[in-house]
Formats: sequence, C-alpha cells, structure tokens
Amino acid sequence: MSSVAHPTDIYGLAVTDKFCLSASGSSSLKVHSTVDPDFPLVQSLDDAHKLGCHHVVTNAKGLRAASIGFGGEIAIWSCHDGVWAKDSIASVNQTGSAGIWAIAMSEDGQYLAGVSQDGHVKVWDLNASGEEIRDYETKGSFGTCIDLSADGRFLASGHENGSVYIFSTETGRMPFSLSGLVKPVRAVAFSPGGKFLAAAGDSKVIVLYDTSSGEPVANLSGHTAWVMSLSWSNTGEYLLSGSFDGKVKVWSIDTRACVATHSETEKSIWSVRWLPKVGRSEGFATAGASRGISFYREATGG
Amino acid sequence: MPLNPQTPHHLNTASPSPTEEHNQSRVKDYITNTLSNLLTELASPDGHPSITLKPRSTKVSTRSINPETGALETHAASAGSTTYTWPGKDCYEAWKFTVAMRVLSGIADAVDKGVAVSKRDIYYNDPAVFGFQRIVDRLVDDFAHTVGVDRTALNVGAAAKGLVVGCFQWKIKDQAMVDDAHFFNPDTLVPRPQDILGLEVSDIEWVLILEKEAVYRRLAGMKYHVRSTAGLGILVTGKGYPDLNTRAFVRRLYDESRRRQSSKRIRFYALVDGDPDGMAIMSTYKYGSLAYAHENSALNCPEIHWLGLRTSNIVTGVDPSGNDALLSLTPRDRKKMLAMLANNPVWAVDGPEQEARAELLQMLMLNVKAEMQILYDGDGGLVRWLDRRMTHFP
Repeated sequence: MSSVAHPTDIYGLAVTDKFCLSASGSSSLKVHSTVDPDFPLVQSLDDAHKLGCHHVVTNAKGLRAASIGFGGEIAIWSCHDGVWAKDSIASVNQTGSAGIWAIAMSEDGQYLAGVSQDGHVKVWDLNASGEEIRDYETKGSFGTCIDLSADGRFLASGHENGSVYIFSTETGRMPFSLSGLVKPVRAVAFSPGGKFLAAAGDSKVIVLYDTSSGEPVANLSGHTAWVMSLSWSNTGEYLLSGSFDGKVKVWSIDTRACVATHSETEKSIWSVRWLPKVGRSEGFATAGASRGISFYREATGG
Repeated sequence: MPLNPQTPHHLNTASPSPTEEHNQSRVKDYITNTLSNLLTELASPDGHPSITLKPRSTKVSTRSINPETGALETHAASAGSTTYTWPGKDCYEAWKFTVAMRVLSGIADAVDKGVAVSKRDIYYNDPAVFGFQRIVDRLVDDFAHTVGVDRTALNVGAAAKGLVVGCFQWKIKDQAMVDDAHFFNPDTLVPRPQDILGLEVSDIEWVLILEKEAVYRRLAGMKYHVRSTAGLGILVTGKGYPDLNTRAFVRRLYDESRRRQSSKRIRFYALVDGDPDGMAIMSTYKYGSLAYAHENSALNCPEIHWLGLRTSNIVTGVDPSGNDALLSLTPRDRKKMLAMLANNPVWAVDGPEQEARAELLQMLMLNVKAEMQILYDGDGGLVRWLDRRMTHFP
C-alpha cells in the first residue's frame, strides 16, 4: 500500500485506466497517475468548486468526467492527450440541476445522471447541450447516491429514508422499489454484468439485490459502522466497501464472505474505487477523512 | 412573546468624560436639526419632509481574520446615504419614512429625558408598524452610524439578555459594594460592560459558554460551576446568538486571564448544538460577527475551545446516545451552512478553524445535525460528559 496526502478530507474518487481524480474540501480537483507505481500528483484543476467538491465521476474510457461542488454546481471535464480541462462543449442545464447531490456517468460519457435533495432522479444528454431527458419523481427523500448500469439500461438511486429504486432508462419506468434497508442508504453499485445491485448505509449491512427480480439475495454483514462507499472489481468477483470507522473490506461474491479487512485509519472512509486491472493484478484506492488516498496493489490488499 | 417593557433606569450623568459630552452634544444637535427640518417641510404647503441615513455598509469588499487579535474584520467600500421622503414614490418609501420617524422620536425621547431605553421598548411602541424587531435594530444602528457615535450615545441599548452564574465577585454600578448574588442565582443578567466597575475572578479556572438557556439552567441548578471536576468556574449563556454585553463580558474575563501567569490562565469552553447556528454562535464568541465587524477586536475571545457537539462523535459512538440522536438537516440549515462557507473567513479553506470546517462539510455530506439535549440521557449525563471533556482539553 502507498499513500498520498491531501490538505483536506477527500469525499470522492473517480478512476480511469490512467488517472485517479479526487474531490475534496478544497476548491481544486487533484489528478494522480495510476500508471506510475508511486501514484504521483500529475495535475491540479484549480478553482473547480469554490466551496469544495463532494462527488467526481468518469466514463469508462476515461475521456470525460463530471464533478459537483458543495455549492451545487456541476462541472464537466474532458481529457485530451493525458491532460484534463473544462469540457468546452458539454454542459448541464443549471436550473434543471439545482439541488442535485450525487451523480453518475454513462460508460460512453454521453449521459449524466443525478439524484436530488428532494428525491428527483434526472438524466441529461451532455452531447445535446445538457438537455434534460429524464426526470423521475420519488417520494421526496434526500437522494444520497446513484449508479448507472454498465450497459446504461438501468439507474439505481439510494435515499435517506432507506429507499432504493431501480429505473429503466429505456422505458422511463420504475420496475423496482427495493425493500430491506430502513436507515439512510449511502451507496448503491451495479455489478459489472448488471446481475446484482449492492446497496448499503447506516444499517451497516450490504444487501445484494437480483436486478431481474428485485429480490434481496444476500446480506454481507461485518461492518460495525455506517457503510459509505461501494465498488465492484472489474470482473465482478469482488465487492469493496468502506465505512465511517475507517475500515475497508473486500468481499468475495462467490462465497459471500469477507476475504480481507483493512484498518489503516480510524477516520471515515468516504470513497473506495477499484483500479483498472493491469496484467493479473487488481488493486484499489480508498480515501476519506484521514486526508489521503491509499493505493492497494492486490485484490485482497497489499 | 409577552410584552416586556423594561423600566427605564436613570443614567448616571454625574461626570461624563469629554468624549461622552462631545457625543451627547452631537446627538442632540443631530436630533434638533433633523426634527426642525422636518417641521419646516411639513409647515410648507409643497414641502417634502425627509430623513437621510448613512446605512452601515452591507457591501463588504473583503473579510479577513486579523492574525494578531484573532478577530473577524471587514473592509467595506464606503456606502452612500439614503433619503426617505414623505409621502415618497411608493408605499415602501412611505413606510420606511414612518418607521425611521418612529425610531428617531424614540431616541429623541430617551435623550431628552436622560433615560436609557432598549430597542425592544421602541419596537413595542408600535409593533404593527415595525413588523419585526430587526427593523428597529437596524435603524438604531444606522442612526448611530449617521451621527457617527456609538449606539449607547443614543441612550439605546439592547435589553440585557445574557445570564451568568459562577464563583466570582463584581461591583455593579448603582448596586451594593460587592455582589455575591450571582454565586447561586442563575437569573443574574450580564450588565453593560461600562456598568461593571470591578471584577474579582481569581478563584476560577474555567468559563463555560452555553448556547442554550435550558442547558445553562440545568447546569446552574446542579451548581456545576462549583462541583465540576475541572475546578471552580463560570457559566455564561447569551441565549442563542450573544448580545454585545455578553460578548463584552466574556472578553473581559479573557482580559483578566491574560494578566495571569501562562500556567494559570482561565480555560474557555463553548458547548453549542451540532448544527449551523451552534457553530456560528461559537464563531461569534471566538472571532466576532460580520454585523459588528468594527467592534470584534474588542469583543472576541480567541482562546475558546469548542467542546461540541460534533456529529462525527455521535456517528462513531464516541458520544453516547446512539444514532437516533441525529436529525436531518433542513433546506434552511444547508443554505445557512453554504452561506457560512462562502462568506465568512472563519470557515474558509485556509481559515483558522480547519477542524470545524471539516465538521461542517461532513454534516453536509451526511445530512445530519445534533442538539445538546441528547447529552442529558447518556451515561452519567451532561455532567459526566463535561467533566471528561473539560479535563481532557485543559
């Protein structure tokens, strides 16, 4: 494991094949190289969000990113020749995005999805001047987290009242309102193949739902604090989770068991993300209130 | 809110200092000139009675924390003046003229009779016209700014609001030689700073500032200022956002502390709600307020240690009471927090309160807040919690 320090708490990580972008309590986004074994800082996107930034997401190819600041503003970024800059074309309509909290980006980078503080789930087409193409209304509970399935067909949102919803982006309908979590949900994540949705939060349990039936198929128990972030490995073999007491756990989906627990810090983990697979090794990054990003080089942490 | 007119007490005008005398004549001149101009205009058939005010600037160009005093300072672009004419161009101006007239006549009356009135007294002369207390508050401050004097020179003070109880003695103007009543009387009001003629605090080791009156009364009732394991102390509350008298009193205690040897300094603690108002109140005592930025360096107490509540301690179980003690932030809370982060250098990314800033951002992340009452129920309750904290952060 190696660490890089930041001046403030880190709230969000986004990982591409070459970079790790981090959102923090400062006004700049930091870009670290994931190709170099020392994970050096390669770029700082200054004055990105005046009051700090809480979510940053990228598309699969690593060419586009979106970030949202505490002030509520959404910024779109693009990567050309290894350098990140404000996207000159893509944008999101500012009035329609008022009150958005968490965001997710489609694999091709064309669509941005967001869930709002009053429970709306919206989708914008970034290639069509940020036009709002979907607006799903839920019961009005604060939207804490959102994810898009890899094929872009499904959206999932998690809410403060414990609700988890799955929407079809094709039909615009909501096939499932998932039960099982009563306390605030802090993270939702589709498995790479879209077979499962993992959801977790203040109830400390990670629930795996079958996305075709909407039924819970497994409870992953072991965290003793709020679960703040989830991330699937590239193959879907492992699920990574981070909690408010600083613990990071790796779960085997085959055995439904925790295969590794890391406790490098006692401070909250805000974000966990798998790194792209290089050869046979698969590592991950974690960040949070300890004000640093930790990079682990093996699936079970090393 | 019950009608609560304060009995005006006579000002001691035995030997005013030269500046006081100068200020009083400025105030009298201003009132005489303004009222006689109004009368002249009213008497003429096509007259336009008007009042011109120099409002305190609300357009602040820069705000900063003074590194030496730890006080919040603003550097304002000088504001112009505003004239309200009767009947004016619209309803709003007519109303503005009327309320300014009412406030001015309240001030004139107080100055004429040589008595002190409170802003509350003026408001209750005609609450229907004023609508809100803050309309009166703002106008009084604007009149003071226009004349170029302190608010007390207008004979207008805020009604005493802060409460204090503790192991100290003081001599208050127009009262018996040494007053011990405050030892166990939680209803002792914090007087105007100029009315505290003597203060004897050599026995105390700490000062605990409380946001809420209810918590203050609970602790005062248990005689916490005597029984604390942290030694003898003083309990103070400003009942929410503190008035200038309460802030001046805390500052006076800080000045007393600075005269001691460094190992025997008084320790200052603040216990506030884990919500945006609680944190803003803590910051008002420690750095000052944006509204009275020019007075902050004489009112702040830079050594305040923030005891809590921290929502992070509740989430992680450091504080008892469990997660049910947490409440969701309201949209107003979130808006207020963003305004604090955007406007006040206390909460800036390179500001002096990094830990508190991180706590604010975390509350936004988790969408939670907590109120002090949750400490009542924990193991050993509030007293044990305070004993532990105040002995941990000596």
